[in-house]
Formats: sequence, structure tokens, C-alpha cells
Amino acid sequence: MSESEWNPLGYKNLYRELFRKHLERQERLMKEGKKVGWFFSFSPSELIYVFDVISAYPEQYSAYCAARGSSVDLIDSAVGNGYSHFLCDYFKTTLGSLLTPEKATKPLMPVPDFIIDTRALCVAHHEMSEIFSRIFNIPKFTVTYPYWTKDSATNIDELTKIPERIEQSYVDYTISRLQKLVEFMERICNTEMDDKKFRDVFSTSEKTSKLLIEIAEMMMSKPTPGSQREIADLVFLGFFVLGSDYAYEFSLKAHKIIRERIKRREGVSENEKFRLLTFGIMPWHSLELYEYCERTGITFPINLYVNASLHLVDSKKPFESMVRRSLHFTNCSYDMMDGVVRNARKADVDGALLLENTGCRITSMITRALADTLNERLGISSLVIEAPQCDPRVMSMERAKTQIEAYVESLE
Amino acid sequence: MTHELIQELYSYFSTKSFIKAYKKDGKAVIGLLCNTVPEEIIHAAGAVPSRLIGTAENFELAPAKIPGWICNYAKRVFEDALSGKFDFVDGVVSSTSDDTKIHLFSAYNFYLKPEFSYLIQIPYVRDDLSRKFFVKELKRFAEKLSGFLQSEINDERIEYSISIYNRFRELLEVLNSMRMEDKPKLSGAEWMKIMQSSTSLLKEDINPLLEKLIEKLEERDGRGEYSMRVHLSGTDFHDIALIEMMESMGIAVVSDDFCTSFPAEQVNNGIEGIAENYLNQTACVLTSASTSIEERIEYIMSRFKESRAEGLIILRDRGCEICGHQCAFTMDAFRDVPTMVLDLDVPVTTEQYTTRIEAFIESYG
Repeated sequence: MSESEWNPLGYKNLYRELFRKHLERQERLMKEGKKVGWFFSFSPSELIYVFDVISAYPEQYSAYCAARGSSVDLIDSAVGNGYSHFLCDYFKTTLGSLLTPEKATKPLMPVPDFIIDTRALCVAHHEMSEIFSRIFNIPKFTVTYPYWTKDSATNIDELTKIPERIEQSYVDYTISRLQKLVEFMERICNTEMDDKKFRDVFSTSEKTSKLLIEIAEMMMSKPTPGSQREIADLVFLGFFVLGSDYAYEFSLKAHKIIRERIKRREGVSENEKFRLLTFGIMPWHSLELYEYCERTGITFPINLYVNASLHLVDSKKPFESMVRRSLHFTNCSYDMMDGVVRNARKADVDGALLLENTGCRITSMITRALADTLNERLGISSLVIEAPQCDPRVMSMERAKTQIEAYVESLE
Repeated sequence: MTHELIQELYSYFSTKSFIKAYKKDGKAVIGLLCNTVPEEIIHAAGAVPSRLIGTAENFELAPAKIPGWICNYAKRVFEDALSGKFDFVDGVVSSTSDDTKIHLFSAYNFYLKPEFSYLIQIPYVRDDLSRKFFVKELKRFAEKLSGFLQSEINDERIEYSISIYNRFRELLEVLNSMRMEDKPKLSGAEWMKIMQSSTSLLKEDINPLLEKLIEKLEERDGRGEYSMRVHLSGTDFHDIALIEMMESMGIAVVSDDFCTSFPAEQVNNGIEGIAENYLNQTACVLTSASTSIEERIEYIMSRFKESRAEGLIILRDRGCEICGHQCAFTMDAFRDVPTMVLDLDVPVTTEQYTTRIEAFIESYG
């Protein structure tokens, strides 16, 4: 395929700044002797900032190991210790780092004092949490979220996660668990929750969430303004640091950059040929995948994985907002993809690149239904590539490129 | 005679002759994708609850819709569903017990479009709030189901259904004790056949057959010659041929903890009692007071001890996330007893396990 000039948004420096501030906070709190918690995606990250705890994320750490090349050894270490191969790569990588720390990318995750898990995405988070809490012999807290079906939620906006109707008994129960989580955090931190801080954090979270959603909306412009090499990392903000000042600062700047890019009608690819929707957890070992596509004129105005990490926070209803976080399309039955279809239509996509993450039942099982929905309702085809997020052995970059080339030919 | 009776029971699973007759009588059949779905409620609504068990050995249709590495239970059910073997199903119910069950439910609905579907939300903790929520959730399910069936589910019907199911559990308890005897009167393969047949009959129809079977079994000379008493551990396992092969090699399968077997705890007091029972299930545990791993190990240990098993064979489905996460801990907990792990994938070719089982028996039997 012919080369096109690649023109990313330039978020790299913003991310560098974001991580620097995040790590500074961690170090400061570490010195102050604050508690360390392990969290997973879709956990209510705001509580991290309300309670001033040090946060660590097995998923983010595993992605880091995959990008740095240590994940293969760590996965083998987990499997060699009796765990199945077909489990989440994030679990196997993190577990491998505990079993064989000498093989893991440094710095290692800090030893936790407690673990929080939810079923806002998967039962696997709950299962991982049990194992980690058993290994460290520390308390854990579980928030059971519903899996949404048509009889419990309808007409959900894909970005804001605002539904037309929602089953109140499910909302009430989840809120009651979240309130218990606050009590759990109070016990762990040996302090009562500061109500003002709670309000402030959620106010910051609301402002950040608005900006992030607008960035995702702006990505749907023509030509596609940004690179998925940068946009895909927004999940770090959506999942893990939402509620922090530095996430807000990042979002303000990122929002401005993309807005100006759109005003200038500039795209990430000089000659945009095809616009594809994409979904699946990034194969962190092969981050150049999206860049390779964009350099050949294939852009990605929609990343459903990033969109899943977003939700519009309403600081006046913080607990309800935490519940709505779970209304992403991967936590809804497959006949609830109206919001996805609406955005795909709005972005005028020509096709889809779907990544089936081996070991992740959530992203993998929904992939074909998503492809069939896009085909039936919009008449567009999809390319499905098997791409475990941390194990490069299953996904050869060269093979992926060949598959993409063949797929693009079929679009021409 | 006993053997024939078991074969007759098993034929009801294979032919679905009872299911067909129920359909002819105008009864709706509700297919269940997990053992955590309270059958009593469906029964009380006048429908036929039937745990779906797929028997596909080859996969032609499912791989186009779901990944090939997920658990055998899901792959087989989905293949059979797509190929029309579950066309008798009017509705499908599952629960949030694990990721595959949730997404199997979604895929089933998306591609098969049954007239009725419901996903029961299971809380993963057992505090008072969660118990109350689960009661409410089961009442919501009952309401939706009775709306679909145009039938009333009242306290009287619930109590009647509970009594039928409790009788079934009593009979299973007796049968279970027979396979645990010094000279087991019921083999592991026979037990599994009975369990499978129970998915294809209403409990009021299978109960008299089980009573008759128990009478016959009491007259049976148990199996005196075997080299080792074994407990089988796993999840949605149902491959009878593999158990038969083990037993033909000298193993007596005296116990298991599969969720395709049936927990025998009795249910009391209406929907509240049903909720309590199903929330406390430990055959494929998720909710727990401490951690589900501890509780599951305790459960396996108690079955192991009660059956006086001498060895443990873990049948680890390669795609099962519960086995995948918990197996290492189970092995560790049983480190002082002979333990073996067999990784399973479909098609299950029994020959590949022969050498390992022989070695296991030779080493410990």
C-alpha cells in the first residue's frame, strides 16, 4: 500500500506530562505512608482521589510489560504454575510478575493493602481479585454491576452512557454496593470520607468527562483528525485517573489541540482513503499497528474500546454516574448496539478492524456479533484479527499487515 | 434390569421424547445455560425447565460466531443451537455466573432469537443487601416469565414446585450415597447419565423413575473390584465416555463437584428460600462469605472426604475461566493426596488420556 504522510495530534508530550504528574503523586503519597490499592478498569476511579490512596492497575502494568517486551516470559510463568493459557493476558502477566519478579519490567507494581473489583466489565476482574487478595492476604471489595439487557436499559448513548430508561432496582442495588465501598475505603484508610473533597473530585471528573467525550466526538470529523496511536491511550484517563486534576489538565489541552486541528481541516493521514471503526483492546506489544494503517491512508474515527471507557459524569448524581459507567456496549446484550450503529453512521465509516483478544471473553465473544450488526445495518464488512493484548506470539505483525492489505483491497 | 432402567432414562436425554410430549401438550420449554438458574420458578410457571447440554463433537457453525478457545460447554451448546437441535426451546435463561455464560446468553439471543430470554443477575457477595436484592431479582424474573407464559406464579405453586424439587434432591442424595458405598452400587458414568436425563424430564416425571431405580439398585451387588476411589473435579463436564473409560481401567468414580451434577441442599420458604439456596450454591461458586476459591476448595474437600476418595482427578476444560483461575489452588490444597490434571478439549478423544490414567493408577492405585 502506498505511503501517506502521518500527522498525529502530538499528544505524546501531554501523556508524558500526565504520567509524570501521576507518578509524582504516587511518590508523594508513598512517602506519606498512604494505603496502596489495586484497581481494575471500570472501577470508580474518583474514590482514589477522594481518599488519597496510591493506585495501581494490573491492566496498565501488564500493558507496560507488553510494550517493553517482558510479558511473554510472565505469561509463561503463570501458565507454568498451573493457570490456564486461555485466561486474560492482563491476569497472566500480572501474576507472572508476582511469581517471577526478576523477569518483570521495572518498576514493579507496589504491594497492595487492598483490592477493589467490579463486574462492570467482566467476572474475570472478580476472579483475578480473589487470587491477588489470596496471594497478598489482604482485604478486597467487590461491586456487583448488572449486565444490561433490553429489559433493563434502553436506548443508551454510546459516549455519554445516558439511557432513555434504566431498571431502578439494579441502579439502587449497585449504588448500595458503592456506598458500602465508600465505607470499606473509610475503614481501610481509617478516616471518614471528606464530603467536600468528594464533591470537588466529582466536579473535576464531570468537567474531564465532558472534554473526553467531545474529543471522541471530534474524532468522527472528516478527515479523521487524530491517530489511534494517541487516542487509544485515552483509556488511561477514562478508566484509571478520572477525577484527578492532571486528567483534567490533559483533557483541556488535548481538546484544544484536536479542535484546532479540525478548524484547519487537517487529518492524521494526508490522503484519507478509508475510515474504519475499530474495537478491541490494543495489542500493546504491537503499538505500530494503527500507525501502519494511518500511514497508508486508513484512519480510525471511532474506537469503541476507547468509547467504552468514557461516560458523562454528573457531579450532582455521583453514585448514579458510577453506575452508568457500566452502560458501555460490551456490558450490554448484543441486541443493544443501536448507539454503536448511530455513531458508525455519523462517522461515515467504510469498514471495521476488530481485534479479538484471546483470553478475553468479553471483547472476543462480542466481535462477530458486532461485525454482523455492522454488516446487516450499515452494509459494511469487518476484518477480525486475533490479537491478544500482551502476547505477541499469537499475533504476528507481518501477518496482520497482510490481512489488512487484503481487506483494504476488498474495500477498493 | 437396573442397567436397562438407566439406559432407558438416558434415552430420554438423547431422544428428548418427554420434551416432545410436553411440547405437544402445549407446555413451553425454557432452556437453561447455567445451573444457577432456579428451575423451581420456571416449573411453578407451568413451563419445562431444561438445562441445555450440547453434544456436538465437531464444530461447523459455531466458529463463525464465537471464538474457538472458549469453554466446551458453550461451544457445544452453541453449535447444537445453530444446527437446530434446540429448536424445541421457547425461551432461554442464564445468569451472570461467569463471563462465558453471560456472553453465551447474549450470543444465543442475538443469533437464535428465542421468544423469551432473561439473564439473572447474581450478586457476588452474601450480605443482607445482596440477599434482599437477589430475592427481588428472582421476583422480577418470575414476573417477566409469567408475563410471557400468561400464567400466574403464586405462593402455592412455588411451594408445590419446591416440594417436587426437594423430593428430587432427596432421591439424588440416596443415589449419591449408593455410589459412595464401599462397593459402589452406581458408577460415575451411570450417575452422569441420570444427571443428563434429569435435564429432559419434568421432575415429577423423573422422580418415580428414580424411586424405581433406587429399589433396583438396593438389590444390586456393588462393584467390589477396583483399584482406586476417585473424586472428579471440574465445571460443566458431561463426557460420559471419558468416565466410562476411567472406570473400565479400574477407577471407581465415587464423587464429583461438577455443576452438571446437582447440589442436594433442600429449599425452604418460597422465593426467599430459593434465593437463599441458589445464592449459597458452591458447585460452581462465585458468591461467598470469604473468597470463592476457599469455599470451592472446602466444598471439594468435603465431597472428597465424604466419598472416601483416594485420589483427585481435575478435568480442566482448557477454555473454562473458573477452572483456569482456581485449578492451581485446588492442586495445592490437595498436595498430600494423589492428584492429576487432565486438560480437556472437544472432541474428547479418550485414547489420549489412557496412558496418563494408567500411570496414575499404577503410581497410586
